[in-house]
Amino acid sequence: MLNDSARLDRAFQALSDPVRRGMLARLARGPASVSELAAPLPMSLPAVLQHLKALEASGLVASEKSGRVRTVRLEPKALSATETWLAQQRTAWEARVDRFEDYLATIQQEEDQ
Amino acid sequence: MTETFDLSLERVLDAPRDLVWKAWTDAEHIKRWWAPRPYQTPEVEVELRPGGKFFTRMTGPDGFDYSGTACVLEVVPGERIIWSTTMKGGYRPNAFAGDGCDGFPFTAIHTFADAGDGKTRYTATVMHASAKDRDAHAAMGFDSGWATCAEQMAEVARSLGAEA
Repeated sequence: MLNDSARLDRAFQALSDPVRRGMLARLARGPASVSELAAPLPMSLPAVLQHLKALEASGLVASEKSGRVRTVRLEPKALSATETWLAQQRTAWEARVDRFEDYLATIQQEEDQ
Repeated sequence: MTETFDLSLERVLDAPRDLVWKAWTDAEHIKRWWAPRPYQTPEVEVELRPGGKFFTRMTGPDGFDYSGTACVLEVVPGERIIWSTTMKGGYRPNAFAGDGCDGFPFTAIHTFADAGDGKTRYTATVMHASAKDRDAHAAMGFDSGWATCAEQMAEVARSLGAEA
């Protein structure tokens, strides 16, 4: 039962971005500092912080500052069983459209050559 | 309180609509993007007419081998395709044995529209069956089947979820 559709909308919004999905995939393996999350990403720290802000607003992750280090972790039980299932379907489709988008770029390059 | 099992996606794709349509509906194109690596899609069959089949077979590590047939319900060339896993070709109902290899019922409406500058606005509406049906599939170990293809994202979603 979805008892808070606005909350789920925020979660889906957070999951709709490939960078944020990548961060969640990293956090699924355990908590990480902001700099650890930022390290593999080809973007500025402010851009990374924007994505983190969106993830925190979605309720999917939480962060804690200790000294100079902010540690980010997944928020367990952020979603109900039904929401989890829907989030799985959502991410599968988003990822599929990501691949489709990449494929379109590839075949257009091939045509140009 | 809204109870919905629909998902809606929208994406502006940087390619002209005729190319997007072709890449989304032509079997040889579909093989190249349908499944996430390391999974592959060695077989795809698409019959672009109402009652036609939409068949995909995905293979992957550890003997993963999943085939699914959906039924095409509506085709407006270049604009819209609707297919549903509730049926296979010829409107014949799918059985869904629930063993994790049979998929689960959903209907997907895909639309394509010019978005200017040679871009295309793609939308997908994916309608799922009721919570009861869905939970039954989940309880029968469905997660190990189709959803495997969501790769680590399924794992992420599970990590975020309530304990079963």
